[in-house]
Amino acid sequence: MALRPDHPITKHPLSLRKITILSLLLTAQLGFSQQDTSYKKRVLESAEIDLLFSYYGQDGQNAAVTGGEGSEELTDATSALVVRIPLNDDDVLTADVVISAYTSASSSNVNPFDGDANRRVSPFSASSGASRKDVLVHFNPSYRHASDDRNNVYSANAYIASEYDYFSLGFGGGYTRLFNEKNTEFSVGAKVYFDTWNPQYPMELRDGFFDSRTVGIGSYTPNFAEFDHERRNTYAITMALSQILGKKWQGAVFMDAVLQKGLLSTPFQRVYFGDANDFFIENFQLADDVERLPDTRFKLPLGGRLNYYLSDTFILRSYYRFYYDDWGITAHTASLEVPVKLGNAFTLYPTYRFYSQSAADYFYEKEEALSTFAFYTSDYDLSKYRAHQYGMGLRYKDIFTQAKILNFGLKAVDLRVNHYDRSDGLSAFIVTLGTTFAGD
Amino acid sequence: MKKLIIVGFIGCFSTSCVAVKQYEKVYLNDEEMQLSAKGSERFETNFQVYREAAAGANGGKSGGGCGCN
Repeated sequence: MALRPDHPITKHPLSLRKITILSLLLTAQLGFSQQDTSYKKRVLESAEIDLLFSYYGQDGQNAAVTGGEGSEELTDATSALVVRIPLNDDDVLTADVVISAYTSASSSNVNPFDGDANRRVSPFSASSGASRKDVLVHFNPSYRHASDDRNNVYSANAYIASEYDYFSLGFGGGYTRLFNEKNTEFSVGAKVYFDTWNPQYPMELRDGFFDSRTVGIGSYTPNFAEFDHERRNTYAITMALSQILGKKWQGAVFMDAVLQKGLLSTPFQRVYFGDANDFFIENFQLADDVERLPDTRFKLPLGGRLNYYLSDTFILRSYYRFYYDDWGITAHTASLEVPVKLGNAFTLYPTYRFYSQSAADYFYEKEEALSTFAFYTSDYDLSKYRAHQYGMGLRYKDIFTQAKILNFGLKAVDLRVNHYDRSDGLSAFIVTLGTTFAGD
Repeated sequence: MKKLIIVGFIGCFSTSCVAVKQYEKVYLNDEEMQLSAKGSERFETNFQVYREAAAGANGGKSGGGCGCN
């Protein structure tokens, strides 16, 4: 409503200023007093520690190191320590350290000629060379800040990883916005990785290689050149939208857009050409080249989750992902987990996951590629196949954290066992044990 | 079929105009209802990233940081 020109307030600008200042002071005072008395729940009540262990084993007959034919036997033992520390009501600092040690028959055959007189050199047996095992260590610190109303969340993270032939440095950041009475959540994030190879080439392709046991037509002179660059950069944008759909169900859609540039080939994966003479040392065929893949790759995975609280005993957790990349691969992933609550403390998790992919444009079985091609690989991870994964998990949860170790109480124990079968003959299993402790 | 899925999907998400109140979220707040992958799944996701060409859109790695596909 407009004030009349003869209104006392408009006649006396000083009074108007006083009223304005007084109003502002009152508003500010009201605001502060509201902040002082309102209850703000801490983002994380107390420090938490996760200890995780896993043991993974696989076997198959299509090792990429030996050109698509050879043992894929591999075991890996991994330990992880995750510490989450609340810095105050709004901020959480997380440190994630992983140590992974593997032993692999196929990678042992980067150099299959270990001089063991009791072993016949073959792609189907492991050598005792240094490349048969390695240790991967990675450290992933992250920081998370939530606004007072918990509707805005900011995060930043770093990543550093090292193994004998690979080093990675990564950075990332993200923002999450909740709205619609926290029924809708939108997240966006970005990550970059700057990776460097320390290329390890198959032994027979290295300078100065000679072995008097070599047999074949003519002399073994592969047309091989080392890669002239060793870096691999990855740029990823991630987006997620989650939505509460009712009192018992909610869903989310995810999208990543990933661009990779640099050395995307694995330098120790052999390729055998169909138009080159074959050379052998005992039962081991010498490489014609290593895999050659394009220097760029664009990946676009799109996923969705839908969870439904069926009853106090059963919950349905479903997931689907479509994947596309510009190497000619499309893939579908679908999984269903049905947590079954067995009382207040225990939950059983039967899970099933289906996966299928088409082959990369550059995939060729052994001796199908020609030396005139620009790109080729015999890595069966890039071939066409289907995979089924079956699993079972058991979770124990104690909200009162009664079992204590020092000042930390046991909050949860997770045990998961999964079996994986691929249509090309590869099979694998993984056992994971996870524990969560909460500080007093 | 594709159109049906898209329409269904949009239909599901358009129900957001009916907001579920905080005090009505007892089932949604159940730990098993979380929309992200569980922490204990990380090693399974990790081996899948190595053994499969597809990765990402699940909160895990989508490339980089390892000599994987």
